[in-house]
Amino acid sequence: MTAQAVLYQAPQAVSYRRTVRQVAIGVAAVVLLAWTCFPFVWILLTSLKSPGDILSVPPSFVFTPTIDNYAALVMGEQRGQYSSTRPDFPLFFLNSLIISVGAVALSVLAGIPAAYALARFTFPAKNGLAFLLMSFRFVPFIAFVIPLYLLFQTFGLYNTHGGLILAYQLITLPFTIWMLRSFFQEIPLETQEAAMIDGCSWLGVLTRVILPLSMPGIAVTVILGFMFCWNAFNYPLMLAGRQTFPVTVGAIQFISYEQVLWGQMAAATIVAALPQLVLSLMVQKYIVRGLTMGAVK
Amino acid sequence: MSTTRKRRHWRRERLLPYLLLAPALVLLAGMVYPFLLGLYYSFTSYWLQYPNRFRFVWLDNYLSLIEEPLFARALEFTLGFTLAAVVIQVGLGLAVALFLHARIPGRAAIRALMLLPLMIPPVITALMWKIMMGSTNAGILNYLLSFLGVDPVNWFGSTQGAIVSVLIIDTWGNLPFVSLILLGGLQALPTEPYEAARVDGAGPIDILRYVTLPLLSPFIVLVVLFRTMDSLRIFDVIYATTLGGPNDATTNLHIMAYQYSFQWYQMGKGMAQAIVLLILVVIISYLLMRLWNRASESTA
Amino acid sequence: MHLRRRQLAGLLLAAPVIGAGLAEAQDDEALAYYRQAKIDWQQAKGQSLTIGLNKHPFTESLLPLIPEFRKLTGINVEYLILPEAEYFTKLVADLSQQRGEFSVIMTGPVRNWQYVTPGWILPLDDFLNNPKLTDKSWYKLDDFYPALIAANRWNGKTGGGIGEGPIYSIPVLEESYILSYRKDIFDQYNIKVPTTLEEMAEAARLVKKNAGIPGIVARGTPSVASMGTGFMSGLKSYTDDQWSEFDGKLNANFHDPRSVKYTEAWINMVRESGPPNWANMQWYDAMEAFTAGQAGMIVDADFFAANYEDPKKSKVAGKVGYALIPAGPGGKPYSGLWTWALGISKATKNKEAAWLFAQWATAPRTLLNATVGYRNYNPSRKSVTDDPRVQEIMGSWGGGSYLKTVAKNLETAKVIWTPQPERTRMGDVWARALHEIYFQRMSAADALKKASMETDKVLKEAGIK
Repeated sequence: MTAQAVLYQAPQAVSYRRTVRQVAIGVAAVVLLAWTCFPFVWILLTSLKSPGDILSVPPSFVFTPTIDNYAALVMGEQRGQYSSTRPDFPLFFLNSLIISVGAVALSVLAGIPAAYALARFTFPAKNGLAFLLMSFRFVPFIAFVIPLYLLFQTFGLYNTHGGLILAYQLITLPFTIWMLRSFFQEIPLETQEAAMIDGCSWLGVLTRVILPLSMPGIAVTVILGFMFCWNAFNYPLMLAGRQTFPVTVGAIQFISYEQVLWGQMAAATIVAALPQLVLSLMVQKYIVRGLTMGAVK
Repeated sequence: MSTTRKRRHWRRERLLPYLLLAPALVLLAGMVYPFLLGLYYSFTSYWLQYPNRFRFVWLDNYLSLIEEPLFARALEFTLGFTLAAVVIQVGLGLAVALFLHARIPGRAAIRALMLLPLMIPPVITALMWKIMMGSTNAGILNYLLSFLGVDPVNWFGSTQGAIVSVLIIDTWGNLPFVSLILLGGLQALPTEPYEAARVDGAGPIDILRYVTLPLLSPFIVLVVLFRTMDSLRIFDVIYATTLGGPNDATTNLHIMAYQYSFQWYQMGKGMAQAIVLLILVVIISYLLMRLWNRASESTA
Repeated sequence: MHLRRRQLAGLLLAAPVIGAGLAEAQDDEALAYYRQAKIDWQQAKGQSLTIGLNKHPFTESLLPLIPEFRKLTGINVEYLILPEAEYFTKLVADLSQQRGEFSVIMTGPVRNWQYVTPGWILPLDDFLNNPKLTDKSWYKLDDFYPALIAANRWNGKTGGGIGEGPIYSIPVLEESYILSYRKDIFDQYNIKVPTTLEEMAEAARLVKKNAGIPGIVARGTPSVASMGTGFMSGLKSYTDDQWSEFDGKLNANFHDPRSVKYTEAWINMVRESGPPNWANMQWYDAMEAFTAGQAGMIVDADFFAANYEDPKKSKVAGKVGYALIPAGPGGKPYSGLWTWALGISKATKNKEAAWLFAQWATAPRTLLNATVGYRNYNPSRKSVTDDPRVQEIMGSWGGGSYLKTVAKNLETAKVIWTPQPERTRMGDVWARALHEIYFQRMSAADALKKASMETDKVLKEAGIK
């Protein structure tokens, strides 16, 4: 009987333990998800609220949703006496696209050869140059922005897409080189040497071996670089005008003189997040892998 | 014949890396001029609304920082905040990464959702959090906490509260980045050491301590490096929520330099503060980078 | 079915045409109005302007009319709109480098002091007095409230001279500071509408005790923006306009005993009966708290009433009373005064075009449209205030008490800062002192003395003293 009891106790204890473990895991997952998603959900809810609901105390989860805030982004005029905005938002959205795509493309074009050089060759001052390239990422924007403003005004780059694309190299280029360099180093030397024996020049090795093999890494670099560009605020604030403002600067325009249009700001935030959402879902499975590869070496 | 070819080849090999680096260097070289101009301003009395008083003042702007009581506080907050942010974010990030590394249901979905915070500009993130952190139950956080029986938290209205609030917002925005890098690192670890440890009868805590953490160290140092660099010059979140207040509790060097240059238009002083911050970031990054090189060499 | 579809298509096609036709008719009417001015609107034809604008109802009202302006003058207009803080950052960057990106700028009295000293903005009298550029009888400068025009004049002398010398900007709205309070709560608990600082503190205490909401909200961020409205107006009133932030010799005077006494009482009131997050309250936090029914009183901009009285968002519409700021022994309030106003950058190449725009944008019809259609309160022109539509809206606020209070307030309201280019810095230093007191790091006397010394140091460094 005692033996039996002991025999029976073990599986019970195990299943009990397993239940505890599963509950703990469940709780942890819920906490993690709530923490990560709640602010996003809250912004989404705010974007669907009318001004009265936004100011309600305590905050309301149940309300009659309205698409007025989204309509205001595109059409400008808001129904009723609520203040109207001129629909510059579509223009800002387009600007964000042009600048971010342009900046990332330029960074990748200039970054690939640089990363290749740092990954494959040994040459004097290599580490110094690598640190120098990287160090542009350290600079507090305050130290740059007024001199850049002057420079841009002088050379007609102020308030142009091209100028912003150049300025955004501060954000993306060091990062791109850093990431790509790590990916290139991942590719075994033997593969490259084999290609060289087959008569490939360095260019052939780069285009036929290295680039195809590091496509996932390049994809991740592009996506993350795109996100950094898309979220940039200080540089475009100082270096762009209305014709070239991106959505980040556009979103704070909903702070007006006598009121803040929280609903429209939230709607703008949600719309502005869409391209990143689509892009990152497309390459989601590469992101973790890419981040890893970028991280080692 | 063979030697000249070799030499030519060698010379080409020697020049090639520089040629490859050239486009990137040229692009960034355009940024060197504005930097030098900023550096020059830091040695002048440049004050926007008094163009006639522009003089070269040597190190005056730097020396005057010593007498500026706010500078010491800002320096202290810059370093203290960075330390806290890095410890908290890397610690939590590690926990999240270990959690997501375990075989749990819905892992892929959670991982995808972890990317959400990266998609909202920090300025907007901060503004929205500030609304959520309303001091009475007008703020959603205090309202939700009231169901748990927690008294309303004075998020931004007190000095400690403001520091904690900024930390929370910054952590929300950056935790995904940290945990995803560490998660990637976990997935790349070799399996043999684990099997060996299990054969030796090591418990989960021992495995974490003696196997996982040492193997993961290059990744940890890497996220520490990135987070340190960004935390030292954190700007957007503080700018959008407290602008350094209350009682200067959240004024870091970047915010201080901003106030001098853009609120008070004392470009000379503001630039000197920005340069001090830059030097700080470069020194700390350099040390961490060396640490990272060593960590990744020792595990390679 | 087929027919119906065609009809539908016809309707869809026709709709924009009808719309365009209507707009055209309106355009023509507007153009006819502006063409009554005996000036050649087309004299700067083909030139381009960029206008720097603060995000604001007045701004909103101008944007749809820009095509109309182009039709009238042949001038191309580009614009840039940002919230206040970011706007001024960009504006000063442009003005200080004299690049002339912005031709017409949105500015105001206290801001002008900063821009006039280095000569960044133009005096406007030459434009106003040039018959080729301005038809005075059409433009009607005397229609503006004289106090607002005076506020935008300055003779350039540090420490005084408001209302003298050239006019640097044309006011587009008026803002003064009054006490708004929850009439329903005050009635319910028999709370007296305060007329002194002590009574205000008592009223705040009673609201908090009885209604369970903060008795008073106020701006509290450590910035000049927190100082110039309710707090400083209250201090001016408390001292019967005898105190100013400088003594006769341009020494900062924050530590004056009267100022210390007032500050102690104010901070105590805010700490005891105010919201817990006072120290982080922007203007919109305070305004929204009151609008959401989360405060008993607020001493701030009068025109926030437009939000309080808007039933679409406000929880307190129809429940708000308006009164003058609590006064000192003399019994009179001395509220501060601010006007957003249009000025012209010196670096602009198209000065005449810039003036034509400023004149057009501040003409009676344009300003009336801004107020009626876009809630640009309070009007800077008498004719706009007197318009029946405006009277109907503003007259209903606070059961009629709003308009009366504002009118009474304007009898003594004036620019309360002393002219000097370091006002922003000085206000920031002062606001920080309030935080030292609020968080009990320093006594009021010590903190204000320190703020005075710091200000003196800055003024010396800037070469003003």
